[in-house]
Amino acid sequence: MHIVVLAAKAIIGGLAVVGFSLIGESARPKRFAGLFAAAPSVAIASLAITVLQKGPAGTVPYAQGMLIASASMLAYCLASLVLIERVHALVGSLLSWIAWVAVAGGLYFAFGR
Amino acid sequence: MQGGELRQDDLEPVGLDWSNLKKVKPREMLVRFIFGAAVALLAAVVGSLAGPKVGGLFLAFPAILPASLTLIEKKEGITKAWSDASGGLLGSVGMAAFAATAMLLLRVNPILALVAALAAWLLVSVGLYLFFRVTGLFLRSDRLFRQSP
Repeated sequence: MHIVVLAAKAIIGGLAVVGFSLIGESARPKRFAGLFAAAPSVAIASLAITVLQKGPAGTVPYAQGMLIASASMLAYCLASLVLIERVHALVGSLLSWIAWVAVAGGLYFAFGR
Repeated sequence: MQGGELRQDDLEPVGLDWSNLKKVKPREMLVRFIFGAAVALLAAVVGSLAGPKVGGLFLAFPAILPASLTLIEKKEGITKAWSDASGGLLGSVGMAAFAATAMLLLRVNPILALVAALAAWLLVSVGLYLFFRVTGLFLRSDRLFRQSP
């Protein structure tokens, strides 16, 4: 893959995350702010550049993968709700990655291939 | 974690208070930028090595949440961090709406597809939030996950 495309995806993805984070920081109450923690910030930047690079047809599989992983994002948040109170935010949110990997992997092998 | 604090926070009016941004440290945003850039890179590299669908999985990877939740716990306490994760749960349903809309419309018109996908995320996330808030479903769902009363 061309290094310029990779760099563009990284920079625009990072900036999109910062943009949504700033909206989240200014939002209240906290539960409403949490919506922006699950904003498709990396996705919008990445899909836009992929459209330019590979065209719409080449971008669709990325969106399909993302749809599968949305279920694992849900699993991640459910796991973090259970774990944060028990082992605090850092450990709880890191351990919840296991739920993301398990659900994303499981759904991909079951339906995604 | 305090149930009273959770309910009190939920009663605050919904909106954006831009003056909160004065409290945000540049270092916190730099951490988020680095994590965001890393995930975008990861999705691109995995996509080219293992196929676009596998790469697409990482477009919904919660890379920023551990950093965000840890910062919130440090600055505002565990109840606010929990509350933020609870909002993320609704946002992830919106994320599915984003992906489904993009998937359906990309071949029709890619610009329209991405704009419509973002609108779908916002509509579903905020709609679900308002539905849970108005119907009191937050209180019921909190009981399912919270350890303390």
